[in-house]
Amino acid sequence: MIQVKNLKKSFGSNEVLKDINVTVKPKEVVVVIGPSGSGKSTFLRCINMLETITGGSVLIEGVDITDKKTDINKIRTEVGMVFQQFNLFPHKKVIENIMLAPMKVRNIPAEEARKKGLELLRKVGLEDKADAYPDSLSGGQKQRVAIARALAMEPNIMLFDEPTSALDPEMVGEVLEVMKELAKEGMTMVVVTHEMGFAKEVGDRVIFMDGGLIVEEKVPSELFDNPQEERTKAFLSKVL
Amino acid sequence: MDFRWDIIVEYSPLLLKGTLLTIGFSLASILIGTILGLFIGLGKMLRNKWYALPFKWYINFFRGTPLMVQILLIHFAVVPAFIGTTNAIAAAILALSLNSAAYVAEIFRAGIQSIDRGQMEAARSLGMTHVQAMRYVILPQALKRMIPPLGNEFIVLVKDSSLAALIAAPELMYWGRAMQGQYMRPWEPYLSAAVIYLVLTLSLNYLLNYFEKRWATE
Repeated sequence: MIQVKNLKKSFGSNEVLKDINVTVKPKEVVVVIGPSGSGKSTFLRCINMLETITGGSVLIEGVDITDKKTDINKIRTEVGMVFQQFNLFPHKKVIENIMLAPMKVRNIPAEEARKKGLELLRKVGLEDKADAYPDSLSGGQKQRVAIARALAMEPNIMLFDEPTSALDPEMVGEVLEVMKELAKEGMTMVVVTHEMGFAKEVGDRVIFMDGGLIVEEKVPSELFDNPQEERTKAFLSKVL
Repeated sequence: MDFRWDIIVEYSPLLLKGTLLTIGFSLASILIGTILGLFIGLGKMLRNKWYALPFKWYINFFRGTPLMVQILLIHFAVVPAFIGTTNAIAAAILALSLNSAAYVAEIFRAGIQSIDRGQMEAARSLGMTHVQAMRYVILPQALKRMIPPLGNEFIVLVKDSSLAALIAAPELMYWGRAMQGQYMRPWEPYLSAAVIYLVLTLSLNYLLNYFEKRWATE
């Protein structure tokens, strides 16, 4: 469960998030859409404190992450993140990418971490790539490894920051497929994306952001078929 | 022009001794300078400006003043101030190490900062601490990129060690100058020294290329 209250974020004098209030319930899939520069990625990055928060609060499973006493490293083990640019560790093999954090952060023995890693690779359909280096993978494969790597920490929540935006079109499907599978299993997800088809099919709720504010927030069918706000209409007319 | 091979032969045991000392304190300075440089580089990257300041000025001083001045200062002023007497070899190693550390610190900083920000973010998002992310994700990648500039620095250091002749540390250049002083001939001593330095730097270069290739294919 994620509770975001009056979240504000500024970069210098540039206020990127003005007043964001969102609650994401367990097992819910929330899709965030909006034009570039609307603050949607920043919003996502505030949820695991990759950005320092200027004002307001973010509660993960009831724990306020803006509180100085909170162990942010512990919170982050519960919140997996997938990046637009994959950010795989290029000096490590695929399986080592997945094993690293469980071994170093959770002190899981190598043997067990490897077993778990192979299981996750099977889940994303890349078991045969365990001993390959990330450089030899296609974009879609890299992103699936990145998802497996995040899942290895057994998070309760997964954040996706435009996971398919850096992919060639023919590889988008394979990544979305893995994400759909996750959603079906009941993972709590917040997904920033431009894939409207995914939002419609998988999202429980769609948030439309613009200018650092949440403009409209509805179930997908309502938002896409019957948007109320002018800005939402204008945006959807461009992307649909 | 007659070239007197005989005086080179006569001096060869001394040149050999000098070369061994040159190799010895080049190695010592590379080792000490690199370790010290890593810490100074980290120090300069501290987020708190005030904590980073001394490291910044350390680098400013050692990069901004001639090595010759540093060697003289350390030999005649700094070492005596601490132990009452001085020792040319110790002073030379100290000066070369401190000087080299400043350059290594900058190489180190540049190496770390050349690693994409996403690497740190990915590591932190998995719950790793800053230190763990540095140790397992950033440094292994940065070190690989640091080999070529570090190699340059080591080669410069080997050559700069010849300045230790000024304080009578009996290294290669010292014996070159002694030979010149005895026979008043310019070609034989200085060419001998030049050839030996060249062999040393080329060997070092070969070694570094070897490591670079080996790490690259991993």
